[in-house]
Amino acid sequence: MIKHKVFLTLFLSLSAVCGLFAAKPAPAAKKAASLPPAAVLGGVTAADMPYDVGGAVLLRWAVNPSDTPATTYTVYASSLQAGGWVEAESFASTAKTGKDIDLPFWAWDGSASEHAVKIELTNFFGEIKDGDVFHFKVAALENGKLVAESLPLDASTTSNWFRLDRLNNVVMLLLVTIVFFWAVSHAKRKGLFIRRIAGLDAIDEAIGRATEMGKPIYYVPGIGDMTMVSTIASTFILGEVAKKVAQYDTTIKVPHYNPVVMTVSKEVVKQAFLEAGRPDSFREDINQFISSDQFSYAASVDGMISREKPAACFFMGYFMAESLLLAEVGATTGAIQIAGTDSESQLPFFFTACDYTLIGEELYAAGAYLSKDPMLQSALKAQDFGKLVVMISVALGVILTAVGALMKWGAFTQTIADLFKAY
Amino acid sequence: MSHTVLIAGAWISAGLTIFLFSFLYKDNPFFKIAEHLYLGAGMGWWCQIYFGVLQEKVWTPLTHHEWLVLLPALLGLSLITQFIPKISWLSRYGFTFLMGYGSGLAIPAGLATDFINQIGGTIQPFANLAGMTAFTLFNSVLMAVGVICVLIYFFFSLEHKGAIKKVSNVGIYFLMIYFGAAFGNTVMARFSLLYGRFDSLYTFSGKQYLYATQVILIAMVTYFILHGFLTRNKADQDEEAA
Repeated sequence: MIKHKVFLTLFLSLSAVCGLFAAKPAPAAKKAASLPPAAVLGGVTAADMPYDVGGAVLLRWAVNPSDTPATTYTVYASSLQAGGWVEAESFASTAKTGKDIDLPFWAWDGSASEHAVKIELTNFFGEIKDGDVFHFKVAALENGKLVAESLPLDASTTSNWFRLDRLNNVVMLLLVTIVFFWAVSHAKRKGLFIRRIAGLDAIDEAIGRATEMGKPIYYVPGIGDMTMVSTIASTFILGEVAKKVAQYDTTIKVPHYNPVVMTVSKEVVKQAFLEAGRPDSFREDINQFISSDQFSYAASVDGMISREKPAACFFMGYFMAESLLLAEVGATTGAIQIAGTDSESQLPFFFTACDYTLIGEELYAAGAYLSKDPMLQSALKAQDFGKLVVMISVALGVILTAVGALMKWGAFTQTIADLFKAY
Repeated sequence: MSHTVLIAGAWISAGLTIFLFSFLYKDNPFFKIAEHLYLGAGMGWWCQIYFGVLQEKVWTPLTHHEWLVLLPALLGLSLITQFIPKISWLSRYGFTFLMGYGSGLAIPAGLATDFINQIGGTIQPFANLAGMTAFTLFNSVLMAVGVICVLIYFFFSLEHKGAIKKVSNVGIYFLMIYFGAAFGNTVMARFSLLYGRFDSLYTFSGKQYLYATQVILIAMVTYFILHGFLTRNKADQDEEAA
């Protein structure tokens, strides 16, 4: 009995001691208990970022007027149901308002009275799919201490089919298209005027020289592929050159870098010989595939030019570092050289080594100028219309923006900036 | 890498470099060797790349039952039908798709970058007119004037005479200044490539590479001298015979 009492006393004593220790708060817990609980940050919404390719979420909440300069906000994102928070964005309370979202006025009604934060989820979670749900929370901090936190929010992203922010691009495209069709109908009825392009008149001279000398003509279409405008323009010029070559019964050689361009060029040359009434003069080896490697192509064409010593060389299309290698060798053989490219970095080399050079857009215009084809002429007219729009827009835009800036009409200058932004 | 392989590599590298440079003197058999080797090696390289693409983009997805890749693969293969005249018409489907796809990609991008961004970029500095210095203001005005003048040069719907010709000539000056800057920039980049080759030749001229550069260079110069004498004698004989 006494033994039982002793055990009971011991048990009660131990329980009392444990209880005493348990009731005594730890220093850290005591400190935490002294802080006021973090308030809930209300009014936060999370939704898919509009007019994008997906992968971004937009968080919005009202600006708190009681925020001080020491207040900062931190946005957390997570791909997990619980935990796994990643700091996605951190900024001062005066930053990231609705005005800072990079969308034009017709697609976004941003206000300075709300915070709007775009979170690029792909930066944190890699590749994501449409419909993947992510979780977000926003924390407000005062001098680094948490004062308010939103409840976790769910949002998923979607890729948008239509980008309203690019409406200006569509309008411009439609306008140019309308002008193009007008020009087509006009060109078919009355024809269109195109000014003389220096360099193109030399084509006849070059082909005539080759005929007199009994030497071949080299037509190098560059290293662009068939989707490049300069290569397309080059094939048009090749057609006209080949037609004249067929008429004069001269030899032409077209060394190729790209097999697709070679196939198209073959058809173009065949058609040109047919139109010239000399289908019998057409040979399959006029168009030769050389190499798809830039410098081995250049080395090989250089070798061919230096051995055959052509009377004329045409370099029309897209060129890169091989431009000078080709044109320089052509110049040393004494050939008359006509070049044309829209690759600005290579134009200086053609200027130095060639007799005539078509600069950028002149190459595009050359096809229309030579063929007098209504479709090509109309395309040129549409381009001219575009240039006119650019000239007028630049002149007016500069004046209006300067006036707006002087008069401090912020909304006015922003509207002009929005109109001419490609996004 | 064994020492022998290293030396062999140095001799090939120095040899091919000098062979290609020999074209600066005149066309010769050494250049022809390097040219054809380069051509073959280049095509061989691209061939394995293309076959690699077939495996990566077509074969592997097919083994994962991604049957949609068959569509672009068939369009791509249709281009090869050019080699079979009877069914070469099939290649038109591939070409048409290629052209349409290329235009679809190029038109919106071109419109955005060459057109709208060009306007926006030219007028944007004026939004901060109050904060501009005299130099930045001059720079911005110069840019705007330059854009308009250059565009007038490329305007094909008007005959260039009178005032238009004068403005267009100003545009040419802007273009030439740009081309001059681009020329200098590119030439500098080319010189760095040349230094790279010279540096390699210098490295391979060392004892550890058995004086590859000097030996090849001397051998080639000897060949050119002998060839020059022999062909001159032959030319003289031909003249006498004539």
